[in-house]
Amino acid sequence: MATHQPTIVGDSFAVGYRFQRYWNASMASAFFFGELGAGLFMVSMYYGVVPGMIAGLISTGILKAYFHLAHMGVPANSWRAMMRPDRAWISRGIYAIAIFVAFGVLHVLLEVGGIFGLEFGTVNYALAQTIKTFAVIGALGVLLYHGFLISHSSAISLWSTGLMPVVSIVYALFAGATLTTFLGWNTSVGEVPGTTFSLHSLTLILLVAVAVVLFSLIYAALNGSPGARVSINLLIKGAFARAFLPLVIGVGLALPLLLLLWAPATFLTSLAVAIAVLIGYYTFRVYIFKAGVYDPIMSFAPDP
Amino acid sequence: MARYGMAFDLRRCIGCNACVIGCKQENSLPDGVFFTRTLSEEYGVFPNVNRVYIPTLCNHCEDAPCEKVCPSGATYTREDGIVMVDNDKCIGCNTCAVACPYDQRSVLSKELFEDGLFGEGELTPFEEQGYVRFTPGTVTKCDFCSERVDAGLEPACVVTCPTDARIFGDLDDPDSDVSTLIRERGGRPPLPEKNTRPKVFYVT
Repeated sequence: MATHQPTIVGDSFAVGYRFQRYWNASMASAFFFGELGAGLFMVSMYYGVVPGMIAGLISTGILKAYFHLAHMGVPANSWRAMMRPDRAWISRGIYAIAIFVAFGVLHVLLEVGGIFGLEFGTVNYALAQTIKTFAVIGALGVLLYHGFLISHSSAISLWSTGLMPVVSIVYALFAGATLTTFLGWNTSVGEVPGTTFSLHSLTLILLVAVAVVLFSLIYAALNGSPGARVSINLLIKGAFARAFLPLVIGVGLALPLLLLLWAPATFLTSLAVAIAVLIGYYTFRVYIFKAGVYDPIMSFAPDP
Repeated sequence: MARYGMAFDLRRCIGCNACVIGCKQENSLPDGVFFTRTLSEEYGVFPNVNRVYIPTLCNHCEDAPCEKVCPSGATYTREDGIVMVDNDKCIGCNTCAVACPYDQRSVLSKELFEDGLFGEGELTPFEEQGYVRFTPGTVTKCDFCSERVDAGLEPACVVTCPTDARIFGDLDDPDSDVSTLIRERGGRPPLPEKNTRPKVFYVT
């Protein structure tokens, strides 16, 4: 028998790394739709793409809420989740979602034709700007709270990094930019001179930002604590590499890069880019959850 | 007010898992749910090999991350330092479970209560009397057998241990068995780098 270091032990009564099994695909979907909606809303708002804003609000306000409720053990008590904004990121997130959805809906109503008989141009300018500002603050809050929620705890070493909020922001804005291009194809994006080029450039910049942050996350984990190393090795070499590398890196980053640089700028191209990015983003969210492991509580095996 | 804690004497633990069974029986735990486990580890190179048993349970941390992240206030700490979960407030978001560095939380899925111990969809009388304390869908964990402690008794795992490897008592009382053992032989908290200040210590 040789000296051995702790390995992944599953649920057995042995010392070793254990997978977190408490947050599953439902929670990953809630994160995905929450971030995607906020990112899409922000980019669409900047470019004035109303379908994008509406899709963003649906994604965060309805799809995210649905997957949270599906995940929750006692959905009837879900209102209690807002009880501790002083210390729990989930509670803060609920307030961010409420602000985002409430002011986001008001902003969209003003954009599409007025509210209470008042159109955007006739409503008090300061009031319209206030509504817009609160919608952006809420969306930013949604983007940030996901990252802080999982990086806050030290239990899962892979998640316990300040890069998590950055990943959430850049990935959501990147996916939001690709979807805005697709959803706004026959609206202001195509009509206003320079907008298409601006959005195309923004998408490319965000793609590079996502790649940099993603590789920083991998590099930091590889050179971090043993638990983070175990997790990241699962993603890039181990059991999850077959899904993570081709879908997140290949489909989610490399394919959009190729399409954005060399494919003709058509409606179908924008659709293909958006789908590819969404596949990569969703896979990233699911596998970051799946690869989370707890460190061994104690080990007497000598260091190799 | 006492500040309860526990020490494990690893020289004494023989890995019999009597504590695990005692805990399951005392708390009527469903299939697959454990408040305590006795982990084992083998190491060394033949012929110098060794096996060590490491009992685990909720560490009732002074700076409990599970309590900090709980959005509903279901997880709280009693005055005597025992970290508790209020079933009525728990929403089953499992955030506490991913925040606990020691993986000491258990999710009470609805299926556990529907299938029963024998998986036939029928509960035994033992399960019927015991499961009333649980709320399906919530998260649960070791509470140092708080009802026994309130009655002046020791936790079930402690009284079940045939080798006295588990020592329970008041950490603030310098003359208690647990304080004396930790002081004399050097108590080591699990994963100290996580900064949770556990009230459970390992003595080698």
